[in-house]
Amino acid sequence: MRSFLRSREALVGMLFVALLVVTGLFNPNFFKPESIVEIFNASLTLVLITLGEMFVILTRGIDVSVGAVAGLAAVVLGTTLNLGWPLGLAVAAALATGMLAGAVNAVGITLLRVPPIIMTLGTLGIYRGLMRVITGGSWIENLPQNIKEPNLWNLLGIPFFVWVGLALLALTMVLTLRVRVARYFYAVGDNEDGAYLLGLPVRWTQFAAYTLAGLFAAFAAVVFTSQIGFVSMNAADGFELKAIAANVLGGVSLTGGVGTPLGAAIGALFLTAVHSMLIFLGVPGIWDNAFAGAILLAVVYVDYRVRTALELQQRQARIRGDLWGGEPS
Amino acid sequence: MNLFRFLRSWEFFLVVLLVVEIAVLGLINPVFFNAENLLYATLDFTHILFAALPLTLVIITAGIDISGVSIMGLASITLGLAWVAGMNIFVALAIALLVGILAGAFNGFFVAKTDVNPLVITLGTLFMFAGLAQGMPALLDKLGFKAYGSAGLAAYQYEGITGLPDEFIALTEGTVGIVPYPLIAVLAFTVLLSLLLHKTRFGRSLYLIGVNPKAAEYSGVPIRKILVWAYVLSGFGAALAGTMLTSYFTSARADLGGDALLPIITAVVLGGADILGGSGAVWGTLLAGLILGFLRQGLLALGVTSDLIQVVVGALLIGAMATKQLVHVFGEYRLNRKALFRRNGR
Repeated sequence: MRSFLRSREALVGMLFVALLVVTGLFNPNFFKPESIVEIFNASLTLVLITLGEMFVILTRGIDVSVGAVAGLAAVVLGTTLNLGWPLGLAVAAALATGMLAGAVNAVGITLLRVPPIIMTLGTLGIYRGLMRVITGGSWIENLPQNIKEPNLWNLLGIPFFVWVGLALLALTMVLTLRVRVARYFYAVGDNEDGAYLLGLPVRWTQFAAYTLAGLFAAFAAVVFTSQIGFVSMNAADGFELKAIAANVLGGVSLTGGVGTPLGAAIGALFLTAVHSMLIFLGVPGIWDNAFAGAILLAVVYVDYRVRTALELQQRQARIRGDLWGGEPS
Repeated sequence: MNLFRFLRSWEFFLVVLLVVEIAVLGLINPVFFNAENLLYATLDFTHILFAALPLTLVIITAGIDISGVSIMGLASITLGLAWVAGMNIFVALAIALLVGILAGAFNGFFVAKTDVNPLVITLGTLFMFAGLAQGMPALLDKLGFKAYGSAGLAAYQYEGITGLPDEFIALTEGTVGIVPYPLIAVLAFTVLLSLLLHKTRFGRSLYLIGVNPKAAEYSGVPIRKILVWAYVLSGFGAALAGTMLTSYFTSARADLGGDALLPIITAVVLGGADILGGSGAVWGTLLAGLILGFLRQGLLALGVTSDLIQVVVGALLIGAMATKQLVHVFGEYRLNRKALFRRNGR
């Protein structure tokens, strides 16, 4: 099972590298370190939102409000900064907003038992609406300089926020692979009733997943607000769907319990890189969505074919009485 | 159906809700008691109904189709391009609807052929169809075909393909008495889908697939074929919605209907369809769509901003679902108590 997981990440990882190489062959400028760093930098927002969404999908849930949560957190960040709050406090307020928004989803899903897609579709409308109600529908501009500065810091030629993203990725990797409590996400997603009978806190695990999704969306909000220096009313619009697509692409299964943060991050990187690659290949950016959708479908379909072929092989091996073939390969 | 059961049904509750809503809105603003105004107002949301009605069938099978909002834009731009290419506008309309059917069949093929979650598949096609709709005019233009219409690129980006002939615009402007054509089409579509759902083997199979796909397979239901048809209907509905909007806005655009996803799914769920499959009815979706549409119109007329309306609609969706779940839990609790009591009493 372990190696099978690795193979899915390997599949997408290899596809990603192959596309990078092809693009590089067509246009050598692509291999400049700046372009690569730029891809990482541009994908950060999506990577962070995707990591948060991953926890929810692992528990077999879905959260289509994360883009709106990011937008709401960005509005809170921008508004508090313009009110003259110190940077730390404003960022804390934004993160708290994200967690609170996630917790509201969690209450609806765990306590009121509203199906996740309905609950988060509802809050998607609510948070997007609230954003505009808070700001009166206008963009938040003239943000103080201190929020834009972190975006310019860099270490070893790599921007500060990329380091933050890598640190958060490493943290979630360690968390999900080595920490007992974080394994509950997998257990609950794989078999909710089983997890319940084992005495795991199923509802609390789901609660934590949605709250984490909100928190990570808020992280993303801080990053993109710093990067672009203003908050538009369309901020992070449509990112909920991209985050789900990135997770699926990276091998996090919507049927729950399968996937790793690394895979999710690669998926997000891939989806963002498609944009840069198309431009370097001379294809107008207008085709982004078509390519992203086609790649998602292709990967999912290939994965299905490989999976069924493997299962068939295993079954045949078992029938032949071949002990080694009977082991999951 | 017996009367008592009807009075306790979700549809009846929706009818009451609709009547109360119009009464309240009418008392605040008498404009709402004017039947002509009321019927004319439906033009603003008939596209939601066109997409939501067949989506009900898909949701009954425990599936979902979120790509409809992209099919709307794809159908609209196809219609525009075909017309720019010199075709008769009604031929162009037929081609646009055919594109919707093909798009639906594409979804259905992947859903039926694989065990991948329909949400993932239609998420992929949501991006793909939207991308195609955006890219097609640019591609054709590059090939030397004047895809942007007589007004050129700048005008296209601003207002889409315009100048569509009057007989096409008349499809949404025309009325029978005081009932606009699109509303009649919606009602006809509802009757048709309802007959399909309740009076045919196909319709009953949809429910069976939603409740228990294994049982459906073992009883010889051609699951794959039926699933493909369900998604085809959904694609067709979305194409109808897209072309209707094209006529209503008098321009063909690639991004039509982009913000319709929330209201469409809200209409289906509020209409009583279970997102986990196995229950639902098109009449419920029709009523819920009307309730939501009039609510929006009413709040707008009262000076509520559309941002706040989004909040209200979201809260309504969650509130309705939470109530339904709580009623369900309470019902189970009562049944359990009853069973326990009976045994103890013996």
